[in-house]
Amino acid sequence: MTGKVLVRNNVKVFGKGTQPMLFAHGFGCDQNMWRFVTPAFEEDYRIVLFDYVGSGKSDLAAYNPERYGNLNGYAQDVLDICNVLELKDVIYVGHSVSSVTGMLASIREPERFEHLILVGPSPCYINDPPGYVGGFERADIEGLLDMMEKNYIGWSNFLAPVVMKNEERPELTRELEASFCSTDPKIARRFAEATFFSDNRSDVPKVKTPSLIMQCSEDAIAPLDVGDYLQLHLPQSTLRIMKATGHCPHMSHPEETIQLIKEYLTGARTS
Amino acid sequence: MDELLNTAPCGFLSFADDGVIWMVNATLLDSLGYDQNELLGRHVESILPVASRIFYQTHFFPLLKLHGKAEEIYLSLRAKDGAEVPVLVNAVRRTREGTVVNDCVMMQMRQRNQYEDEILQAKKLAEEATRAKDEFLAVVSHELRTPLTAILGWARMIKTGELDERTAARALDTIERNAESQNQLIEDLLDFSRIISGKIRLDVGQVELDSLAEAAIDVVRPAADAKGIRLQAVLDPRAGPVSGDPERLQQVLWNLLSNAIKFTPRGGRVQVRLARVNSSVEITVSDTGQGINAEFLPYVFERFRQADNTTTRQHSGLGLGLAITKHIVELHGGTIRAVSPGEGQGASFIVRLPVMIIHHVEQLSNDAEEQQAIARKSQTAELARLDGVRVLIVDDERDTRELLAAILTQSGAMVTAVSTAADALEMLRLKKQDLLVSDIEMPNEDGYSLIRRVRVLEEGQERRIPAIALTAHARASDRLRALSAGYQFHMPKPVEPAELVMAISNLTNRAQSSSPETAPDKSLNRSAG
Repeated sequence: MTGKVLVRNNVKVFGKGTQPMLFAHGFGCDQNMWRFVTPAFEEDYRIVLFDYVGSGKSDLAAYNPERYGNLNGYAQDVLDICNVLELKDVIYVGHSVSSVTGMLASIREPERFEHLILVGPSPCYINDPPGYVGGFERADIEGLLDMMEKNYIGWSNFLAPVVMKNEERPELTRELEASFCSTDPKIARRFAEATFFSDNRSDVPKVKTPSLIMQCSEDAIAPLDVGDYLQLHLPQSTLRIMKATGHCPHMSHPEETIQLIKEYLTGARTS
Repeated sequence: MDELLNTAPCGFLSFADDGVIWMVNATLLDSLGYDQNELLGRHVESILPVASRIFYQTHFFPLLKLHGKAEEIYLSLRAKDGAEVPVLVNAVRRTREGTVVNDCVMMQMRQRNQYEDEILQAKKLAEEATRAKDEFLAVVSHELRTPLTAILGWARMIKTGELDERTAARALDTIERNAESQNQLIEDLLDFSRIISGKIRLDVGQVELDSLAEAAIDVVRPAADAKGIRLQAVLDPRAGPVSGDPERLQQVLWNLLSNAIKFTPRGGRVQVRLARVNSSVEITVSDTGQGINAEFLPYVFERFRQADNTTTRQHSGLGLGLAITKHIVELHGGTIRAVSPGEGQGASFIVRLPVMIIHHVEQLSNDAEEQQAIARKSQTAELARLDGVRVLIVDDERDTRELLAAILTQSGAMVTAVSTAADALEMLRLKKQDLLVSDIEMPNEDGYSLIRRVRVLEEGQERRIPAIALTAHARASDRLRALSAGYQFHMPKPVEPAELVMAISNLTNRAQSSSPETAPDKSLNRSAG
């Protein structure tokens, strides 16, 4: 079981500390996205990186459309990893959709998690008037799905099966590395649907783990309204609005991201 | 350099990591309808429609940031007038004047976009078609195997030599019926694709389910006997007729009975009950078998359901047959449900079909009686006599040859059977023949060539030997080819004995002439000799 999960989710563990910091990537990407911030925590923490099944270098054979048809399946990946590595007092850092998977995982096994650090979180991306602004209409997401389809058809449909196990042709592997982090268009589509069509607002108040909400000042995917909503409904949460714009501050503004996480963790310690 | 950049026949745009646009060329400004000062300093997301914005944040930017480049990315830009401008983007990340920038080249792809839509659409249709084909093949092979069960089962029992005369006769009946049914299936192959597309055709008539059930029980009895399973029938003959396709309803009963036997251990019991329930006729097939897990029960009738491996293996036999069964039952306006108290406790499948409305029964039963009378007549009426008719049979397959010879000999014909076209020609030279029956597909020389050579030899003769072509193909083009080669008649395999005898009788003028000996002919052997 241990080895299976570690291979299945392409789990990487490093760092000199003992307390685990588990980084969960967002939709459309893989663990690579954390490489600008993890060096800042290596000295003090045990860093755990992974790819969700269906993303990055995870085992595509382990993909089950039913399990990954909603975010609980992804939360189960997180808990499986915590379980096999026997992680406790985890500082969970989740980007975008992984904020929700982190919340879901912490509701199910609260004893494992010490802090949740939520980068660009949103419990529901679709507007629900009159009270809730998620930022999108369903038609917007349908447009995204079409766009994904067009972008994925180019290479992944035809090349991915060849690329996956082609060690004697490293140029193909490089090609893969320079492509989208979800390799299979059907999986990517299902992940997109699970991400953008989920409504996890009712789960938010159930979270018992203290959390930091990192909200970018101009984020097309998680607008400021969503940050306000979360701060209001997420127990023991701290909201920090970043100078960074966009949706991926850990890639576009790693210094500010690192600084805010450190400040939060230091503050939490001293208090 | 600026001049070159601005007049290049493609858009160029450069933005920093925070998304702020640093540079944009005139070509791109033109296609978007902006002035330079309107775009410089603005966030790149401001010229992206929503879907592109999400794609930019989740795919495009991470790709650029992590890998330093992004190639052939399809995005849409938003022009000043609100129109969407589809573009194909190649981007590279580099440091210029101490700042990291993302340089993008953008090709407009209005037309290409349309082609791609069409390709995607075609791809989806092709995938759909492939899937339908796979499903179709699965259905076909399943359907072909069902009658084989009875044929093989009974044939093996006859071979043991231990059946009494009555049972053996019944066995032969069952084998014949199933072989006919399988033949029907082969002819219906293309028709069967309708199951997949939901356009299955029913030959509706009045159906008495009790006799249908008895027939179905006969089909599965060898399988039940082999496993020591007791088959019980509790059939109420007053259950009433239903309106339906007897073949399809028989298929329903086969499927349910085969399943019951398959999932019932040695020494168990399978029961068929037929009863009237209000305005329906209810058929219940119950067994004392392994039963069905409550969790799986709702999915029993689903086709190709993806359950976990264990469940799939355990219930592999349940998937397709029951899916077809349900489909057929529903086409008849009926319902089917499965009941099981749990694993190890047996299962019941209950089919309900609406009973036929009574005032239709009179009319239809007359029709049905008439049809049955015709059928009886055609089956039991004596075959036409071919006494003394000399028939030459050419077929490379021994079984077929022997069968044809047996049929014709029984009708009184004098049969010579050979296996090659060369032997046939030789035989025609040696001995007068009244008629030739030839297979078309034969090694070395086929039936077309044979008849052409026969006709050449007959040139100048008054009489031409009548000839019948037998082929496995029943297309109009095959018939035409056989006739134009020189045959008088084309008959698809498998041959219906009565039809063959009748055709020979007609071609040799038996209908008019009572004595073949008196028929005027100049036979080929005379001319050749």
